Amino acid sequence: MRLKICHLYPDLMDLYGDRGNIISLVQRCRWRGIEAEVGLISLDQQLDFRDWDILFLGGGSDREQGLLYEDLCRRRENLLSAIEDGLPVLGICGGLQLLGKYYQTSMGDRIPGVDILDLWTVAGSKRMIGNMCIEADFLPDGSHGKQNTLVGFENHSGQTFLGKVEPLGRVVKGFGNNGKDGMEGVHYKNVFGTYLHGPLLPKNPHFADLLLSLALERRWGKRELKVLDDNLELAAHTYMVNRLKQQ
Amino acid sequence: MKLATTLRFYFALWLGKAILLVSRLAGKTGTTLPGAVALKIYPELLARLSGGLPRGAIVVTGTNGKTTTSNLLAEVLRRAGMTLTFNRAGANLVTGITSAFLEASRWDGRNLSHLALLEVDEAAMAKVIPLVKPQTVVITNFFRDQLDRYGELDKTVALVKDTINTHLPDARLVLNADDPLVAQIGANREGVVYYGVAPTDYDLSGNSQSREAKFCSFCGHAYEYELYHYGQLGIYICPGCGFKRPAPDVLADEVQIRGTGGVSFSLGGTEINLQHQGFYSVYNALAAAAAALGLGMGMDHIKAALDGFTPEAGRMEQFVLGIHRVTLSLVKNPTGFNEVIRAMIHGERPLGLLIAINDNAADGRDVSWLWDVDFEQLVEKTGFVVCSGLRAEDMAVRLKYAGLETEKLYVIKDLAQALNKLAAKLEAGQSGYVLPTYTALFPTRQLMSAARSKAYAS
Repeated sequence: MRLKICHLYPDLMDLYGDRGNIISLVQRCRWRGIEAEVGLISLDQQLDFRDWDILFLGGGSDREQGLLYEDLCRRRENLLSAIEDGLPVLGICGGLQLLGKYYQTSMGDRIPGVDILDLWTVAGSKRMIGNMCIEADFLPDGSHGKQNTLVGFENHSGQTFLGKVEPLGRVVKGFGNNGKDGMEGVHYKNVFGTYLHGPLLPKNPHFADLLLSLALERRWGKRELKVLDDNLELAAHTYMVNRLKQQ
Repeated sequence: MKLATTLRFYFALWLGKAILLVSRLAGKTGTTLPGAVALKIYPELLARLSGGLPRGAIVVTGTNGKTTTSNLLAEVLRRAGMTLTFNRAGANLVTGITSAFLEASRWDGRNLSHLALLEVDEAAMAKVIPLVKPQTVVITNFFRDQLDRYGELDKTVALVKDTINTHLPDARLVLNADDPLVAQIGANREGVVYYGVAPTDYDLSGNSQSREAKFCSFCGHAYEYELYHYGQLGIYICPGCGFKRPAPDVLADEVQIRGTGGVSFSLGGTEINLQHQGFYSVYNALAAAAAALGLGMGMDHIKAALDGFTPEAGRMEQFVLGIHRVTLSLVKNPTGFNEVIRAMIHGERPLGLLIAINDNAADGRDVSWLWDVDFEQLVEKTGFVVCSGLRAEDMAVRLKYAGLETEKLYVIKDLAQALNKLAAKLEAGQSGYVLPTYTALFPTRQLMSAARSKAYAS
């Protein structure tokens, strides 16, 4: 078994330590004796999404998101077919916005997205910054019992609105997609989009394991993941959940 | 000036100075409150107080090294007999700078300093520059730092560049040639002094550090690097438009890192021996030297000031903890932390560490930057790490994923208890380091100073 993780545009979309998500997936494979391979794919490089087991898209600055937009659009049909086939995708911040219909700038111009998810983003005047906690019901009970919270740090001015597509979760503390409707992120098939940096996966090990389970199941059929000692990860998780609930 | 305006000016000045005096008597440093109150009463106060100094003002800005560069430059200028209006470390926003001018001004509003030397936060440049109008601006480097407060790095750099071009078309710029984000600010301008470092034994041809400025500011093409000194600092060229590292007017050659004994280099044939550790110290000294040369200071004053200067609080400062010698160093962003790691693994000995991570406003609320630090390099030489501060658990998780065994990790959020653990765990032959973020630095330093005096008493 060799799990193939594709980190798309790692040179352009690497704000806020998001590479920590890749480190988390790779280490949690290694600790279980599963081989993991990371492919760093950027502009103009050959890529067939159907060859990969997990796709990761991080966030970038506006300028850098502009540089890669055309490249991603060229890959749309290939990405769409892989997603419909169940490819697990984690898109953070810019990665979430790019998968939607459009991004509307403060001047009112609409920059089209790759239009795979029914969502759109509108530039806001206020930056939504801070620690965030959400509740996500799709998370299965883990080895440590019921664990349906996710924590991280959001930092965005774009306000995202969802059409006919499910959110990732409900905001417990923080702004979420737009600071208004109490929803955070998006969940479609095995695509997970969110504004949660932190980075997300290291201190939400139950979510990291869900992505790994989905990826393994898609390629090799359902398997039990070996239970790991997650005391440190859960301590970081629980500290933030409690701190936010006390605010 | 109308009478009402004059009265407001003096009222603001006197109230500001009075608050400064009272807070000093109360034993506080009083760095922002006097300025904040005085500006409320008379918003043009900073513009008035900063105008009219015989040699004008110098501003030092950038992400890392502002404080050290300003302190080194101040030392050169004082040795040359100049009196300065100088803001205290960290008081580098409009209010702190106003407080510095309040302190330097007499009760009649006159300021007898020869010039003002001001460390200015890069995000405060747009507010400070139109008011202070310096003759010289020194820029150290641009790295990711506390992005949650500043938005993204590109925006900060663009704002600094626009501010300088709009308000200071004729100012002298002292720029780091080796940092493409800084050097591009000098394009199409006259009167730019570039400083840089010649190839050294410590250069890298490529590593896993995440770097800013991978793409040309002018055409978006990826830079090609002949070599990296650290971070994105190095010798680069853009194959797209031809923009390249400018030839340095002030060059550091023959750089030698001397373990715990500091760093030396040759500056136009003069040997400089810094007591500061770490490769980045060369850049701080160079920036100060380039600015001083531009002000007409002699090399004798520059050498004496740079050689004689001891590192300030929390910059590779030496302490005794129990029976062990430990080094205290502030960590606040990935590039700075990576340079500290480079200095630590340069030594022969295995390491015992205390890392204290807070996420108060002054530290940056977002701790994700820890994942852009190359802790992987540290694992092999590390005996144990005590993780402390408000985000101790996040630090421990980062080290676990860098490959450090969990048996070598201790999570102790209380700083005093964490220091006790470090003292108890350190073995002879290990090098001890204490690495706090900004708001953890001063409490840690106090605890270590207290431990030292207690050790001497007993």
